[in-house]
Amino acid sequence: MDIIFTLTLNGLAIGMLFFLLAAGLTLVFGLMDVLNFAHGGLFVWGAYTGLWVYSLSSNFWIGVLGAIVAGLLIGAITELFIIKPVYGNHVQQILITLGFLLVLSELIKVVFGADIKAVQPPSYLDGNFALGDLTIIKYRLFLIVMGLFVFILTTYILKKTRIGLIVRAGVINKEMVQALGINIRLVFMAVFMVGSAMAALGGFLFVNYSGTAFPELGIEYGIFAFIVVVIGGMGSFSGSLLAAILVGLAQVYFQYYLPSLAIAVNMILMTAVLLLRPQGLFTTRGVSTK
Amino acid sequence: MTALLKVDQVDTFIDQFHILQNVSFDVQPGEVTVLLGRNGAGKTTTLRTIMGLNSAKSGSVMYKGEEITKLPAYQIARKGIGYVPEDQGIFGDLTVGENMRVAMQKEDDATKERMEWVLNLFPDLKTFWNKAGGQLSGGQKQMLSIARAYLNENELLLIDEPSKGLAPIIVEKVMDSIQQMKEKTTIVLVEQNFYMASQIGDTFYILDDGTTVHSGSMDELKTNEELKKKYLGIA
Amino acid sequence: MKQLNKMQLSTWVYLLISVLLAVVPFVYDNLSMLFLIVQIFIFGIFAMSYDLLLGYTGIVSFGHAMFFGVGAYGVSIVLERSEEPTMAVVILGTIIALGIAAVISFIAGILTLRLKSHFYAMLTLALAGLFLAAAEKMRDLTGGSDGLLFTVPEFFKDRTNLYLLCLSSLVVIFFLLRRVTNSPLGRVLVAIRENEQRTMSLGYKIFPYKLIISVISGVVAAFAGVLYAISIRFIDTTVFAVDVTLDALLMTIIGGVGTLIGPVIGAGLIEYAHHFLSSELADVHWIFERWVILFGTVYILAVIFFPKGIVGSIQGFVNKRKIKKQEQFDKKQSEKDELAG
Repeated sequence: MDIIFTLTLNGLAIGMLFFLLAAGLTLVFGLMDVLNFAHGGLFVWGAYTGLWVYSLSSNFWIGVLGAIVAGLLIGAITELFIIKPVYGNHVQQILITLGFLLVLSELIKVVFGADIKAVQPPSYLDGNFALGDLTIIKYRLFLIVMGLFVFILTTYILKKTRIGLIVRAGVINKEMVQALGINIRLVFMAVFMVGSAMAALGGFLFVNYSGTAFPELGIEYGIFAFIVVVIGGMGSFSGSLLAAILVGLAQVYFQYYLPSLAIAVNMILMTAVLLLRPQGLFTTRGVSTK
Repeated sequence: MTALLKVDQVDTFIDQFHILQNVSFDVQPGEVTVLLGRNGAGKTTTLRTIMGLNSAKSGSVMYKGEEITKLPAYQIARKGIGYVPEDQGIFGDLTVGENMRVAMQKEDDATKERMEWVLNLFPDLKTFWNKAGGQLSGGQKQMLSIARAYLNENELLLIDEPSKGLAPIIVEKVMDSIQQMKEKTTIVLVEQNFYMASQIGDTFYILDDGTTVHSGSMDELKTNEELKKKYLGIA
Repeated sequence: MKQLNKMQLSTWVYLLISVLLAVVPFVYDNLSMLFLIVQIFIFGIFAMSYDLLLGYTGIVSFGHAMFFGVGAYGVSIVLERSEEPTMAVVILGTIIALGIAAVISFIAGILTLRLKSHFYAMLTLALAGLFLAAAEKMRDLTGGSDGLLFTVPEFFKDRTNLYLLCLSSLVVIFFLLRRVTNSPLGRVLVAIRENEQRTMSLGYKIFPYKLIISVISGVVAAFAGVLYAISIRFIDTTVFAVDVTLDALLMTIIGGVGTLIGPVIGAGLIEYAHHFLSSELADVHWIFERWVILFGTVYILAVIFFPKGIVGSIQGFVNKRKIKKQEQFDKKQSEKDELAG
């Protein structure tokens, strides 16, 4: 019982990180039909910028803020200079965003150094506490709370605000939104920046969880974002939360019970979904054929 | 009388295909101008070009004496042109209310007044306010799309084949409502259903192979059997 | 007729260059330079196999490294397990490696080629990731992250032999692939790349074509992997890394997509610049050690501004001039006709 509880809690925590990483990707894909392979680059930049600010200020929350600001800024740069010139051309998008991922990862080495960095979360989030017979690691609980907070906040914005309404309408029919007098390019930009900020936040929270930061983080974990997005259904925001939790749990359980399959399990899951149910597991809407 | 909308020698390409060749027509304020012609004659592309959804390669589109040819679609919409596409363009996952709200640029009294007016015109929309747009019937979708296009201070509505795929009794209803909209706004209507077009229209233009070939008043066309036969396939 | 002459002419030019390159090891015996050129040949082959996919079908694969790795591991494992590394063992290893690559590319092709471009890119990325993970896990076979060290027959230890082998492989494969791309098959492929829907509406079933190309491409990539393993005599799991795919991508884009010769030139440029930047200029300033930034930036700019790459842009320029000349010629001709009339 103990082990099931620990594994589930851990799976949920990792799932929340995957959710933060994937949420922006799925929104951007749904709204703009752009698959951003550079998304992992935001993850690693968020991690390093957050750590830098955190070490300067000795305040974890200012680090969180730093990561978010870095995500917004780099997101804006990516949208303007990388995505915009190749808008509407899938092959070029794939090629260029992957190139940008490389550049972003390599720039980390220039700016912050190529070595692996040790990371320590603040003392009040470190360690564990007992709940009856169960031991709970504080930071994992914190991750779950943070993930849910971001999910609820974003869901609220999507459901209750005008900009959210426009985003939801844009996912369904961009052209009609424009014909109703809305400048969708601005909306794209905003969504891209917010999605990037989520990935950056995810990166910072992740390195505090794993205890180490290294420049290839983005390339290594970017693939999880794609797995989650595919499983959840491309463009489905709530789908990405469910898929992220599924992927997180699968990861943790397989690592414990069948470690030799742990790396493969999620990729196999994605392959199966792509081949059998390309619209994703958690969506009722079909994929657009455009 | 100066034209509200003036389309002058417009050429539009989609990929490498030359869809519109030298399309010209005028829309007089307060009138319903009907674009007629066979499938593939370029009627939809004409509306899309006016709206900025397809870009004209040459020629000009003037609205209220102002050049709007190269403007992006959202700016054209803000100038006061509403668009009801062939597929109605309903946001299926959004409720009827949300569909309306997306279209509302302002929340002032004038907009509220318009809202009230269209909801009186289409009481169904009020009934199904919280229903998802995708679950409406074909006729209700059409009404929602027209109502939505009217919400802003639009002086011109571009309506693409409102009768398409609807049962005759529903077509009557939609036709009625367009008749009433006519009191409020100028309309460019693309229509295959000649009966409907002839009931509502004031002026007609016939498109054939991507170019305007004939024009005149609707009353003229009603009696011109030769023209009807040649371009519209009506015996 | 004219077209044929042009083909023949370029064939002679390529053959002449090949002969000149073949003389190099006899007149210039800087070992590290020869080694670098061998790497250029090998990656030239690999990049051509990538160009076959990207340039002739418009498929973006992020998993091309898996074929390279399968080739490299195939021959390495056979060599490492053999009692004595004879030529026969190398040939056997190569055949096994290419056979496995063919089977894998066939299965992967059947599974994935029907997907839209971004799904395809993602799935190939994941597949290559699986191979990387498998190579790390199957330590008994692959040596895991420690890699495999093995000996090769004496013949391959001689730099000149290796050089000539790789050069002739490059030349033969280049001409074979040019054959494929200039055949009716090749023309259908270009049509697919230009407009998939239209090609389909012309009645071509495009899937079998894509599958054939994907298998040829996989086998050629595996062969490059075989040569790579033999030339280094050591391999580890990095042959499956995304970087390997990216190298091919970079070479293809910078050299010129859909030109075959472009990727070879791209391979030369990038391998040389990599070598030059990291060994010579790195002492001047540490930023040159981060050559990926430079190449990544060049690559991004190329995708935006020169999507045809070096060779494609030159071809475009030449063609434009030809058309202009032809137009001028036509104009003069018509003026003459007018005068005569």
